[in-house]
Amino acid sequence: MVGTKVKILLWQLVILATAFCIWEWGYDLRKVAALKPFVPSILDPYFISKPSAIWTSFLKLGCLSDPAGFIACFDKNPNNLWLATVVTLKNMWWGFVSGSVSGVLAGLILGRSDYLAKICEPYIVAMNSIPRIALVPLIILMFGLGDMSKVVTAWIVVFFVVFFNTFEGTRSVDRDQIAAARLLGASELTVLRTVVIPSALAWVFASLTPAVSFALIGVIVGEFIGAERGLGKLIIEAEARANAAEMMVAIFIMMIVGIMLAFVVRRVQAYLLRWQPQFERQV
Amino acid sequence: MSATAGQGRPAVPESAASRTRISVEGLDKLFKTADGELLAVDNVSFEVKQGEFVALLGPSGCGKSTILNMVAGLLPKTKGAIRIDGDDVVHGKINPKVGYVFQRDTVFPWRTVEANIGYGLEIAGMAKAERAAKVKRAIELAGLAGFDKNFPRMLSGGMRQRVALMRTLIMEPEVLLMDEPFGALDTHTKLEMHKTLLEIWERERQTVLFVTHDLGEALTLSSRIILLSARPGRLKEDFAVTFARPRDAVSLRETAEFGELYSHIWHSLGEEFRRTKAE
Repeated sequence: MVGTKVKILLWQLVILATAFCIWEWGYDLRKVAALKPFVPSILDPYFISKPSAIWTSFLKLGCLSDPAGFIACFDKNPNNLWLATVVTLKNMWWGFVSGSVSGVLAGLILGRSDYLAKICEPYIVAMNSIPRIALVPLIILMFGLGDMSKVVTAWIVVFFVVFFNTFEGTRSVDRDQIAAARLLGASELTVLRTVVIPSALAWVFASLTPAVSFALIGVIVGEFIGAERGLGKLIIEAEARANAAEMMVAIFIMMIVGIMLAFVVRRVQAYLLRWQPQFERQV
Repeated sequence: MSATAGQGRPAVPESAASRTRISVEGLDKLFKTADGELLAVDNVSFEVKQGEFVALLGPSGCGKSTILNMVAGLLPKTKGAIRIDGDDVVHGKINPKVGYVFQRDTVFPWRTVEANIGYGLEIAGMAKAERAAKVKRAIELAGLAGFDKNFPRMLSGGMRQRVALMRTLIMEPEVLLMDEPFGALDTHTKLEMHKTLLEIWERERQTVLFVTHDLGEALTLSSRIILLSARPGRLKEDFAVTFARPRDAVSLRETAEFGELYSHIWHSLGEEFRRTKAE
């Protein structure tokens, strides 16, 4: 078992190192005439930059290589890497929280009431058919270039994902389990708290991991279209200067943020759903 | 005894002391299906007295579970009257005197064994210490000691059904309705469950209405068997099961009187099974 684990890790490292080497030096192979036809032009650092250049850009954007010192650079640049990351994360967090909470509430209410669900169905279907991203310019028109429009964008993306999952989860609660709870003296509200919610929780969590990514997508797109600060803004500015290295820095930061948040959601999920077999050994 | 004692219908002479707990009169159930109506229960009347263990026996699809669900108030009736202690059973209204055990596994998978068994007491607001003591006793009684903190997925089907049984019994229901509670278990586990149930019932003497299609099970447990016909369910025969108690679930089956009553009822039940097949 341990041998397999080490082997897997080794392979992963080999792939990573190979990819970085090709990224860093691959395009240089064009200088060798015989190899030129085998080196695709996509490896051109103009498009994808290269690890060493990305590292340099990271130090520069992060105010870590400024001759004036970190503090001076930080104060001078209102959208430096750290502030941009904090702003994007903050907007994403509020979008994620508001979207999840409202999605769960709406899903529970409509899932428990056939009557309300039937009334709302055409509107939900219609709303859901709109690609959310198409609404971003409107949202920016309504809420301005500031943080609010980013939160609203993330909210609207997250809401529907969480809502649909909670709704389905609430619908698929075992009717006999509800009957059993009622026969043991549970009121409608107690049934909701002790049977419907725990039972639907697996469905809710299945939507929260993608919801984290969706919230980040929502905020970044909002920042692309109109913003004063944030990682999306950083990318758009770098694009205007055709600076692939700076774009890559922002992309790497988002990747790290995404990995960390997915990990947190996964841990919470593993604890709350510890009664399910697939989470047995993770707590 | 509750204040409603004596409001039931007059008791039959040989058990004049015991009052009627469940009374069913002229009960019909009509299901509306895609291709018309289906009469599932046809003019069924019977009574269950205090402390009786009545088995409702019949072939699959004869409407015996439907009758039980109507008695529990889980299903609306089409015609007739159902009373528990003289009070009409209203669909959707739960009677706190009634306990119900399902055939299907309805144990809450997100609760541990002890939290499952203590569920009813917990939502009724019983203090934690008092509840824990009761739950502990129930767990021991069910032979589940050591599994207190386990989640149901770690238990076998038989153990889960013990949890479901204790979850109901801990509420001390005066009337216990059971819908083929051991129907999904293998023969050996089933026998173990019979032992447990006999032990508990012979001490507590709740009023039980027990639905089953297993004649051996009905004979082992009950004090009376009500035989239903194939669909639509009609009352066919009513047998007293007078084997001495306490009963042993295993050795009882080897006695001559068991065999006699078995073949007697089997003949009658067999006709109904054949009718079910012929359809």
